[in-house]
Amino acid sequence: MKDPVKSIATLLPSPRLLPNESEADFQSSLQGLLSEFETPSPLNVALVIQLNECLWWIKRHTVDKELLLHDSMAGILTRSAEFPQSYDNRRVSMALEGFLSGNAGEEDEQWIEELLKRAELTVSDLRARGFKGAYKHIKMADDLIHRQYQTMRHLQKSIDSVDFKSRLIKRMDLELAVLENNALAIDAKSS
Amino acid sequence: MASSQNSRKHGLNIEIDLESSCAYVSLKSLLIKEGYSSFVAADIAACLLNYRRVMDAYYEAYFRSIPVNESIWNMDLEGLPLVLGEISKGTAADSSSIARLFGRLQRNERRQGGPVSRRTLSCHKLIRYQRHAISRLSKAIRPA
Repeated sequence: MKDPVKSIATLLPSPRLLPNESEADFQSSLQGLLSEFETPSPLNVALVIQLNECLWWIKRHTVDKELLLHDSMAGILTRSAEFPQSYDNRRVSMALEGFLSGNAGEEDEQWIEELLKRAELTVSDLRARGFKGAYKHIKMADDLIHRQYQTMRHLQKSIDSVDFKSRLIKRMDLELAVLENNALAIDAKSS
Repeated sequence: MASSQNSRKHGLNIEIDLESSCAYVSLKSLLIKEGYSSFVAADIAACLLNYRRVMDAYYEAYFRSIPVNESIWNMDLEGLPLVLGEISKGTAADSSSIARLFGRLQRNERRQGGPVSRRTLSCHKLIRYQRHAISRLSKAIRPA
């Protein structure tokens, strides 16, 4: 029998990955999900591929949610520092990223501390203000994550239904085989 | 309407003749072999392909959202009237009205936010298409 993953992959367009994402990671997470099945049917494979894609979208949107917050926080620091209007806040954003993850160099750390002091803010104040500033887009990212969870629920129910159907068909096949054997046995007896 | 503009932009408002595509025919026959009736197999195949179409549009919306116009975003508006006055040799009123125009452009550009905000907004516009596509697929599979 042909591998159901390969057979469905040739028929259905595969989910596309972003340039910085690894195909091997996607496949490994897919194989992890498929390993839950004894013998997945091609339809179940197709549905599990969609489910895996939803998991990846959740990861992407979660990262974006944090980026939105950091961008907004960097914007607040940039404005407080009275840089010229044309100042690109990416420099602050990168330094802040390092500062929040604890990987900032000494110079960047001092710079962010100086900016916080000038803005008269603590990190948690800045976070709260940043959240307020980016609320609209953070809410949208939350909606996108929620949508993926809802889609996953639909897919899980569909997978259950397909799995139940194939188990039912197998059981009916067995029962039919038993009935046929019985009928043959009766035929043999009567002849 | 904004929603119909979105669907046009991503090609989701166009009815595609799925039944003549090779993928549809092969998927349908694969599902028939799995024990589905011809009618149900046709419905599931069409809904699966439609779901993929929506998710591909979703990917495009994320990956190719409107790029930030760096030159407008970073334009120095304070020094602009002076520069314009020197270049055009026009009146001060002309320079300030051009500067106002650039100011409006910059405000519009910045209002859209950075790349992350743009791709989030872009995908958000497609939520209802995904909801509709998964609901159709689910309905096609579950009564089967």
